[in-house]
Amino acid sequence: MILVNKDPLTFLYLYGYRIGNEYFVTMWSRLKKFFIETGDLSFFAARYFKEALKPPFEFRELLRQCYQMGNRSLFLVGITGFIIGLVLTLQSRPTLIQFGAVSWMPNMVGISIVREVGPVITALICAGRIASGIGAELGSMRVTEQIDAMEVSGTNPFKYLVVTRILATTLMLPILVVFGDLLALYGSALVENIKGGVSFQLYFNTVFNALNFSDLVPATIKSFFFGFIIGLVGCYKGYYCKKGTAGVGVAANTAVVMASLLLFLVDFIAVFIADIFYEL
Amino acid sequence: MAKTKLENLKLGIFVVVGTVLLVIAAYLIGNKQNMFGKTIPISAIFKNANGIQLGNNVRFSGINVGTVKRIEMINDTVIRIHMIIEEKMQRHIRKDAVASIGSDGLVGSMLINIVPGEGTATHIGPGDELKSLSKVATQDMLNTLSLTNINAALLTEDLLKVSQSLTQGKGTFGRLLNDTLMAQELHQTITNLKHASSQASSMIAEMTALVKQVDMEKSAAGVLLKDSISGEKMLSIIAHLENSSFEIQKMSENLHSVIGEFKEGKGTLNYLATDTTLVRQLETTMENVTQGVQNFNEVTEALKHNFLTRRYFRKLEREQKKEDKKAVD
Repeated sequence: MILVNKDPLTFLYLYGYRIGNEYFVTMWSRLKKFFIETGDLSFFAARYFKEALKPPFEFRELLRQCYQMGNRSLFLVGITGFIIGLVLTLQSRPTLIQFGAVSWMPNMVGISIVREVGPVITALICAGRIASGIGAELGSMRVTEQIDAMEVSGTNPFKYLVVTRILATTLMLPILVVFGDLLALYGSALVENIKGGVSFQLYFNTVFNALNFSDLVPATIKSFFFGFIIGLVGCYKGYYCKKGTAGVGVAANTAVVMASLLLFLVDFIAVFIADIFYEL
Repeated sequence: MAKTKLENLKLGIFVVVGTVLLVIAAYLIGNKQNMFGKTIPISAIFKNANGIQLGNNVRFSGINVGTVKRIEMINDTVIRIHMIIEEKMQRHIRKDAVASIGSDGLVGSMLINIVPGEGTATHIGPGDELKSLSKVATQDMLNTLSLTNINAALLTEDLLKVSQSLTQGKGTFGRLLNDTLMAQELHQTITNLKHASSQASSMIAEMTALVKQVDMEKSAAGVLLKDSISGEKMLSIIAHLENSSFEIQKMSENLHSVIGEFKEGKGTLNYLATDTTLVRQLETTMENVTQGVQNFNEVTEALKHNFLTRRYFRKLEREQKKEDKKAVD
């Protein structure tokens, strides 16, 4: 108020400086937080590789986690894939009919599902279901000090809880992608069969004629990375959960958001690398 | 524990089925690219690859039999395309088959079409090179199309002129279309033609009736037409005539050659006919002979008056007189 009274221009200058300064301070603190989180995540990933390669191996827990993340996600992934295939075909049909290229539907849908839609949709579904689940589970274990108790009792909580979960997601996601792709193609074939009278044999024959290894191999390799990212982010968020019940919710929530963002980033990089090797 | 076992069983099924599906997909894709079956390598040389890529299909009589394996640039106008084809197709493809680059539909990917040859050559083997046919490139096709368009425009212009002339009644066809008088005349002509044809028809009927009336047994025409013996005789006459004509021909040929020789100055006759010196000599000789005969007559007269031979000549006269007297009696 004193400044206003003195000179309006001086007030604007000083107030602007203050606002700007605050903005930059906030930006810097956010950037710093981002870098710290990235660094923490990298250390977490490095610790995972270190612990994963070192015996003893928790096979039983790994199998349990595989079951939880693989089998338990199958229905969700399957139904999503089926509907995606169905919808993609239904939405594309009118445009392809306009161009007189409806016979190219199996080629278009097959390539788009195997290359991109299948892995990404499956990974996003798993990020929503698995990453949030891991984040919430590990977060609540951290909040209720079960992890600390494990450390005290001489069990390595990182090996038992984190390594098994990340490995399980890494191994299960590609298989889920295969099921997701198959059901999506089945959904698409169903639409073509009902609407266009195309037989299932002709549809799948055309799809496999259109596909190449350059479609299947990068998509499968990409799926391993997607699984790794989902497990890593879920475990990281849960393992370093803040105290309090609110922290569990935040951990679950941020795990999904961060995992989804990282999935798209990895997808982007994967497409670039695949383009170098296969000239897509 | 039982729950864990069941979970593990379910997980096992999930993993195995998922992996099997992935392997099947890989196999189907790989099989399409002939990665697993027995194959043989062949090649063909083209001037223009027309955008063919590795992995493009190779078709033989419309069936996918292989894929493009490698594209090798030998020089700026020679491109060797290496292909692999299924070994089982080897016994169907012969060395005189022709490879060409085409496309799968209007917007489809490129492919190599192998068309069977005449079927006389032996079967292909590994590493063989097929003959190739460089099809017309799109640009060339467009150029031709452009030329065709120009020609079509010219043709249309001409057609327009023709149709205008027709409408205006110019020329023969125009008059045919438009001239009503001509149409009437044409109609009249056709009527006349009809009349003429009916007349011809009745004439033919009369002729038939006339032929039927001919007495085949007795009349000369009947004999000529029917008698087989006369026919044979006629045939024999004709055969003799033919022989005679051959003989005449030979003779005339001989005559021709003789005359030819005669003309060319060969033989005595020609010498006699053409040599003027001989004629003069002959004249002189004849004069000499005439003179010689006169002289001989004079000598004979002299001999008659000679006392040595006078008796002989008187004797001859007497005998002559006796014979004349006898002849008178």
